[in-house]
Amino acid sequence: MKTYKQPNKLGRFGEFGGMYVAETLMPILLELDESYKKIQKDKKFKRELNDLFKNYVGRPSPLYHAKNLTKYINGPKIYFKRDELNHTGAHKINNCLGQILLAKKMGKTRIIAETGAGQHGVAVSAVSAYFSMPCFIFMGSKDIERQKPNVFRMKLLGATIIPVESGSKSLKDAMNEALREWIKRCRDSAYVIGSTAGPHPYPKMVRDFQSVIGKEAREQILKVEKRLPDIVCACIGGGSNSMGLFYPFLNDKKVKLIGVEAAGEGANTKKTAATMTSANSSPGVLHGSYSYVLQNKDGQINEAHSISAGLDYPGVGPEHSYLKETKRVKYFSITDKEALNAFQLCSKLEGIIPALEPSHALAYLIKSFKNKDKNKILILNMCGRGDKDLFTAANALGVDANE
Amino acid sequence: MLWELMQMNNLDFLPKKKILSLFMTCGFPNIIQSKKIFDEILSHRPDIIEFGLPFSDPMADGPIIQRANELALKSDITTKKSLELINKLSKNKQSTSFVIMCYLNTIRKFGLNKFIKNIKNIVDGLIIVDLPFEEETEIKNLLTENNIHLIKLISPMTDRKRAKKILKNSKGFIYYISSTGITGSNKLDHREINNNVKSLKKISSTPVLVGFGVKSKQDVVAISKQTNADGVIIGSALIQKYFDLKMDFNKYLKSLKKFIQEVKI
Repeated sequence: MKTYKQPNKLGRFGEFGGMYVAETLMPILLELDESYKKIQKDKKFKRELNDLFKNYVGRPSPLYHAKNLTKYINGPKIYFKRDELNHTGAHKINNCLGQILLAKKMGKTRIIAETGAGQHGVAVSAVSAYFSMPCFIFMGSKDIERQKPNVFRMKLLGATIIPVESGSKSLKDAMNEALREWIKRCRDSAYVIGSTAGPHPYPKMVRDFQSVIGKEAREQILKVEKRLPDIVCACIGGGSNSMGLFYPFLNDKKVKLIGVEAAGEGANTKKTAATMTSANSSPGVLHGSYSYVLQNKDGQINEAHSISAGLDYPGVGPEHSYLKETKRVKYFSITDKEALNAFQLCSKLEGIIPALEPSHALAYLIKSFKNKDKNKILILNMCGRGDKDLFTAANALGVDANE
Repeated sequence: MLWELMQMNNLDFLPKKKILSLFMTCGFPNIIQSKKIFDEILSHRPDIIEFGLPFSDPMADGPIIQRANELALKSDITTKKSLELINKLSKNKQSTSFVIMCYLNTIRKFGLNKFIKNIKNIVDGLIIVDLPFEEETEIKNLLTENNIHLIKLISPMTDRKRAKKILKNSKGFIYYISSTGITGSNKLDHREINNNVKSLKKISSTPVLVGFGVKSKQDVVAISKQTNADGVIIGSALIQKYFDLKMDFNKYLKSLKKFIQEVKI
């Protein structure tokens, strides 16, 4: 059996990935790549990071048998990998600790980041506060409006929020602005990308820092069930929680991997974020890497749409494009409406309010495994909690949450 | 015979000093007015015209050029229409060099071979903003076969070793990014520019043009007098006037004329 070894030295996952950025950024990316390579061999770095994972984040996160949901679906035995219990409420903090600890070692004194749902922004703000580094968060004004609780959290944590008014005023435009700021301030600033997107070495680095999720889940399931799971499932926006969970299972050929994108109002409509499963997607270059993107015939990037701000991105990490092409991971999509139903169902059945992002993966389970595969074991990444989505969900359900 | 098909490349005949390159987004502010703008620019016979192909996510450009891109895209400009516009203008190009500045995704989606076929013998050079040295091989070979120069960007962050690699066999001109900024930002630091341009001159004999942040006649004169650069590139400043004049197109055309006369030193 061939061991999985991606990306290559130039950051290629098969034909995907690479470094498509202006020359102004190249020397900084190469410097980052070098520093990252060095730090991977540094035992002290690993110790510090593991200590923070344990004492600041609360890792390992539990692997929880969702009995009521299992009973409801009457399908595979469902486990949640509970990264929603992490400090700051999502998986995002794993990556932030890794990148900001690295930035500190590289002598950077300032942190720049983009955020969509605000989960990454909150995690960056918290970790920046921990390391006493000033922190600047670029956020689309549309997202600021629909993620008010997270905006307030970031401010409390001492971050400066920079509203982005250009383009679609959401995640992709926030990323454009953050990259611009980084070009201007590359000498003293580190840019912390929150997903497995962007130019090399980000997709690899973010995956590596997030793979703590999959490593733990693999050990935990072997301990509890004495065997590997049959199915591993996660939602996909840019793709960091899913890559983090999938990566340690890639060599386990019998484990079926399922990625769930946000279809918005339907994967083939204009209001979608299903980057790999929509008819309007094809490989292209966005934000420094070659991967699937939602684009028109002229190569202009479409605006994405999803009820979940965290999945509302017209691109996807290049490793996912590679895993799609090699068919190692199967990708599907779930609409806003289906996700919203799963959001409510999970809350009632398990007493866990999931974020709208993992609600997409939950909806896929409910839709596809009803009365099926009863002897199988499944792990779902509960990558974020739903507190931040209360207003969005209430609004979509016609409830006034302010009363 | 091959040499009969190969036309000469205007970029190989640039003047020795005070080279002026003017950047403008195709289709800005709309397709019809864009033609008028380019006619005006061409009538001043600058050494180089850079045609920007609009892209929805121009991450290396500043807010002014991004806005120009947004307006152009709203008027339904496409890569095909931009190339038709450039083709029309080329009938009267004479010794002016035509250079296209774009992002990789636009031409990739158009089809690389088709794109090159369309611009052959019309366009002298290509700047692909997000195509660094590490990723250029395939495209560079295709361009070389068709006598189109791939213009290299150098930033203050590019060290000597890297600059040597990038500028090996460089042709046309070297686009020196004057500040570690994005187009149209920051103030110019003439001493830093001069030091960096000097060191580029030791590496390569290709003319060095300074771009990013060149806003006025004073900037152009200062770069000419205080640095070793062979010329300047002006982009955002040409477009900014349109917004300053509250999008009054006739006033804009007049101010454009005056501005270009000023910066032709």
